[in-house]
Amino acid sequence: MTAPSISLKDQLLRRRPVTGAPVAHGASDHLKRSIGTFQLTMFGVGATVGTGIFIVLQQAVPKAGPAVLISFVIAGIAAGLSAICYAEMASAVPVSGSTYSYAYTTMGEVVAMGVAACLLLEYGVSMSATAVGWSGYLNKLLDNLFGVTLPHSLSAAPFGETPGIVNLPAMLLIVMCALLLIRGASESAKVNTIMVLLKLGVLALFVAVAATAFTTDHFAGFWEKGFAGITAGAATIFFTFIGLDAVSTAGDEVKNPQKTMPRAIIAALIAVTTIYVLVAFAGLGTQEAEAFGSEEQSEAGLSVILENVLGGSTWASTILALGAVISIFSVTLVVMYGQTRILFAMGRDGLLPSMFAKVNPKSMTPVNNTIIVAVITGLLAGFVPIDYLWDLVSIGTLVAFITVAIGVIILRRREPDLPRGFRVPGYPVTPILSIAACLWILYGLPPNTWIWFGIWVAAVLAFYFLWSRRHSALIDGGDGIIPTAAAGEGDVMLTHPPKDPQ
Amino acid sequence: MSVAVGYLAGKGGRSPLYLAMEAAKTLKTSLTVVTVVPRPWMTPSIARIDAEYAQYADQLAADSAKEAQECLDSIGSGVKVDFLKVAHRSASSGLLEAVGDLKPDALVLGSAADGKLGQVVIGSTADRLLHSSPIPLAVSPRGYRGSKSGGLSRLTCAYPGTPDCVHVVERVGALAKRFDVPMRVVTFAVRGRTMYPPQIGLRVEDSILEATAGQARDSLAELKKQSVVGEDVTLQVATGNGWDEAIDNADWLDGELLALGTKQTGGIARVFLGSRGSKILRHSPVPVLVLPG
Repeated sequence: MTAPSISLKDQLLRRRPVTGAPVAHGASDHLKRSIGTFQLTMFGVGATVGTGIFIVLQQAVPKAGPAVLISFVIAGIAAGLSAICYAEMASAVPVSGSTYSYAYTTMGEVVAMGVAACLLLEYGVSMSATAVGWSGYLNKLLDNLFGVTLPHSLSAAPFGETPGIVNLPAMLLIVMCALLLIRGASESAKVNTIMVLLKLGVLALFVAVAATAFTTDHFAGFWEKGFAGITAGAATIFFTFIGLDAVSTAGDEVKNPQKTMPRAIIAALIAVTTIYVLVAFAGLGTQEAEAFGSEEQSEAGLSVILENVLGGSTWASTILALGAVISIFSVTLVVMYGQTRILFAMGRDGLLPSMFAKVNPKSMTPVNNTIIVAVITGLLAGFVPIDYLWDLVSIGTLVAFITVAIGVIILRRREPDLPRGFRVPGYPVTPILSIAACLWILYGLPPNTWIWFGIWVAAVLAFYFLWSRRHSALIDGGDGIIPTAAAGEGDVMLTHPPKDPQ
Repeated sequence: MSVAVGYLAGKGGRSPLYLAMEAAKTLKTSLTVVTVVPRPWMTPSIARIDAEYAQYADQLAADSAKEAQECLDSIGSGVKVDFLKVAHRSASSGLLEAVGDLKPDALVLGSAADGKLGQVVIGSTADRLLHSSPIPLAVSPRGYRGSKSGGLSRLTCAYPGTPDCVHVVERVGALAKRFDVPMRVVTFAVRGRTMYPPQIGLRVEDSILEATAGQARDSLAELKKQSVVGEDVTLQVATGNGWDEAIDNADWLDGELLALGTKQTGGIARVFLGSRGSKILRHSPVPVLVLPG
């Protein structure tokens, strides 16, 4: 590859064209506008509930005290505002929808690379962290059902407060998901709906059982941790709202998006926030805020609370643990899928080596990516304790969300006439509010998280300046056509299915 | 040197006879109709029940031969037809035994009767042979009645695009030369299913499909560049949302034959159909020839 002849500034700011970008053809036109409000809401709830809530109380309550309820509402509002901005971006930019693609088409290559760093961090770390949470619930389930547990040394990371050797179940979960993805397994819309109902069911069970031991005394000292505590709590909690943007990505498949989209986002947001607040409220009613941080509840926290409430009877705790094991498994699969596909898009755009854009001809899936993701997240899950991980997920997501909101503003100014399936209501207040809310929550994150985040983003950008800049698919001036055809291919016919009439 | 066809009266229909007749004509060789009947009990019994059973088996074989003869006479002439009765406990083992004795060029089987007309449906006998036959195996779609042109019009080779399958293309190429028919090499690219909930969009699998198809084009173009196939060979990538759609999309001619290679298992050359092979087989609208690995 020869050195580019354009200036560095042009390189950093070159964008994939909004229209004319290499949208996949053939099957892509196959989907009709068929998704309604209910299905769309299910996407949002399905992608959101299932990771965090089973684990987060143990992290957040010690920070914010009973006022964690306020933290949930703040985080929910910030996530909702971001989701609305996300929806406009998704409907304006006709590329498959990750923040990375949106940033690339609106803000240029270097920003896209930064956003990719955030996303990879968000997906990779949240996958590892959910796997660690899964390990706790699996152990609880095995204990309740068969009276056996894995020895602590094989189910805890080596650097935590109570160090083990390796978290084997967490690594096992990641390997299983990777094998499924390599084989091309996927979760259908129907399975997603079933999963949503399952999660809601077990959480409702938790609320119902915990309500039997409700005491208002436990809410004494509600404001004790103060404003700083609430912000810190919101920052930790924020990751439990990741996935709300799943609603937005369905953009061009949605019936009447201008109406359906905000309805679904608000419905999903209200549903998710209500569930979270109910779970937190019921949980707080059963015990002192300090008890959430106890050693006993560090694994499978919600199950342990149910056992305490029922005085040692384990039926409810077993059901909850089973629900958690199943739903965390499905969430991990979906998140890992997203991660491999983002790497694929980056490889195709030339920002990562071409091996990331390679599809295995046998399984027709990006096997390289899946293996790389599985190895890295597997090691994280096996050897890093969970509490160090969650804040990193939040910071990655928040920065990505801010980028989307800025992107909406930029796109409105630069290309006001671009057709958009969905427009943010209350522009320009909404995107600005979204940015402000995200910044506020970012402010609550501990300095350590900032340092790790800074190191990671710096490393990715260093890679960009040393390598990607010279290998970008837009290198020859950027007509947006990614060259895939090699010499002699004129001979090969390519047949696509006939397109459905729209 | 001959073509063997497995046929039993009242089982699976006459479609394999049509395919076998075409094959024998194309190969300019003779045809042997093999009927596997139940093996009677060898120990004589006082009530001669087993003799009755043996009589039934003979009758079955005779009926099958008669039906086959009538059918083959109606199709065409000029081909020498033999009949062979094999008494064996299982149809597949009996056919394998006959294959061992006759050493034919290929064995022709029909589809099972419980599928749709025009589709290749693998029954239990064919299934077993698809994992053990030492010679090429041809399976006719259900209700196949020969091509209108009366012979082979094109040979299509399914090629997954991996280097370990180039030898299959070479072998099919040699066959096409021998039969003097045009050849086509097809790679099927199937879209992955959409993952729900869609965290990064519902269309992300389209770009994967695009990459799969792009790579398939590269590997097909490579076949010509490396002179594995001649300049006159048609190369094609057929994409679809599923195997059915991709295979349907490849556009089939009347009288076309689809050839598949199979995995090499151990040191013995025999047919062993893999998972992708069986998907292609199941959705093929034309007769399929499965080659030993």
